[in-house]
Amino acid sequence: MSSDSSVAVIALSGELDVGRSDEVARALELPSGATPVLLDLSDVSYADSTVISALFGFSERAAAANARIAILIVKPQLVRLLEYAGLGEAFPVFRERSAALTYLLRNG
Amino acid sequence: MERLRAAGPIVAFAILLVVAMCVLAIASASVSNVISRSFATEAQVRNARLLAEQALELQLDEETGIRGWAATGSTVFLQPYRAALPILPGTLDRLGAMLTEMNVGRVAALNDARDVNGQWLNLVATPVLGGPLGAKAIQRYGKELIDRYRLDIRSIEDGLTRVENRTDVTTRRAIEQNTLVTVGALIALAITGFIVGIVQTRSTQQISQREAEAVQLRAAYAAERRVSDALQEAFLQKPLPTLVGVAFSATYIPAREERKVGGDWYEGVELGENRVMFAIGDVAGHGLEAAVSMNRARQAIVSAALLHAEPAKMLARVNDELIAERGRMVTAVCGIADAGKFSFTYATAGHPPPILVEPGRPPRVLPMGGVPLGVLASREYRTHTIQTVPGATLVLYTDGAVEFARDPIEGEKMLLEAIRLAVENGNPEPASAIRDHIFGFREAEDDVAILTLAFVQPEEGAGNGPREAQIVASASRGGSATPGTSSSVIAGVSAA
Repeated sequence: MSSDSSVAVIALSGELDVGRSDEVARALELPSGATPVLLDLSDVSYADSTVISALFGFSERAAAANARIAILIVKPQLVRLLEYAGLGEAFPVFRERSAALTYLLRNG
Repeated sequence: MERLRAAGPIVAFAILLVVAMCVLAIASASVSNVISRSFATEAQVRNARLLAEQALELQLDEETGIRGWAATGSTVFLQPYRAALPILPGTLDRLGAMLTEMNVGRVAALNDARDVNGQWLNLVATPVLGGPLGAKAIQRYGKELIDRYRLDIRSIEDGLTRVENRTDVTTRRAIEQNTLVTVGALIALAITGFIVGIVQTRSTQQISQREAEAVQLRAAYAAERRVSDALQEAFLQKPLPTLVGVAFSATYIPAREERKVGGDWYEGVELGENRVMFAIGDVAGHGLEAAVSMNRARQAIVSAALLHAEPAKMLARVNDELIAERGRMVTAVCGIADAGKFSFTYATAGHPPPILVEPGRPPRVLPMGGVPLGVLASREYRTHTIQTVPGATLVLYTDGAVEFARDPIEGEKMLLEAIRLAVENGNPEPASAIRDHIFGFREAEDDVAILTLAFVQPEEGAGNGPREAQIVASASRGGSATPGTSSSVIAGVSAA
């Protein structure tokens, strides 16, 4: 995890499947405080159901902690997979980094 | 890694072996040095002993000569005396040099012998040779001096014997030490070899124990797979309903890998009045637990279908149940088809979208939406209502059918093509035909389930009157609109 002054960034890459579930679980830890988090999945092309389940879990923990999160998805394969999963219906999902950052840094 | 660890003691043993061989080589070199030195000493001692004997014999020659001369007056007797006389001093000198060289000591004895010989020459030999009166000198001094001379020589010989013994002891000790070192090295080697053997055997045993554990683990996985396969097959093979107006077909491919057998399922339940409930779903994860979760979710959907007429409400209820049970994430599509009206309603929860093929049209992907079941509390889902036409086929599937290459975009293209071919060819088992087109002889990475429902074209004159009329009415309603398009548009989408 890296962070500039105001946004924490969690970045994952490659194909995320059950074989990497421990790594994903470690990565998907919320920073302390209510720092906005950019979950950067722009280099992720695949996520299996166990990882999608973990993404929901992460998003819900963030909501419970009042931490603003934005999920950045760029690769069309992952976009389609998360359309199947309906992640965008429940959480803020962006296809452009600038839009995600704007959302995270917006007041209120 | 295990083999490497097992090789450790062998390497240690090899090093010890080399060290032991070096020690033995050094020890035997030092022993052979000691032995060769002792051989040299023994040769010297032997020479010195010969000289001592010679000194004794020469003195005896001198004495015998003098005595013979004194007794007989014959000069014949003087020959040995005269022969010995010039040799004896040199002999004693050489003997003395050797005693010093060999560090025997006894130089005093040698000097005394030299003195005694000199005195004997002065006090005995010279007077005897000088005249008859000298014979008394033999009696007077002869025996005493000769005895002293002999004692001196014997003392020297004793000294030589001591040196000999000392050398023997040194040699014996060296040999003993060498033996000790050899035996010690051999014992050390034997003990190390024994330990290495034990360690080796033990690590071999550990390896075989681990192998045995691996076999057990594989057996356990195989057993788990058998159980989950059996569960899944039992669920899947529950016969799909056979209705006059709706033809079901289905297929299920278990995952290639053991343990990857997941929680895919499909369901068809007749609800009466030409209505049939259909569902397909997928529990996240694999193995026995997923199969059990799948069964629970499946039962929940069936019971919800008996309580609610609307698919969205069915899913919301199942979601509440799964949230309450803290169950696994489940994705599903469920719906109700009306064979008489050629229409169906459905709702999706985090699942890949249904695909509809109508005669003369390319397959199309239907709307989807909704989050998976069991992840977020109090979710609502959306019911989609589709009015279609006789001969239309609805295809439901699990993600294994489109994600086999981990690329759902390519996967969907291939699935759409497979569906088109299967339906175009009028295959009576479209699900199997679709599966064969996608996978051929390949095995599936993940579980794959495919369920199809076909709205059967009514045959003229078949069936009873009212049903036929109803079908005709529906068909005509579809046909009355703009042909091929309005009949297949989504007739209504209502949010539940």
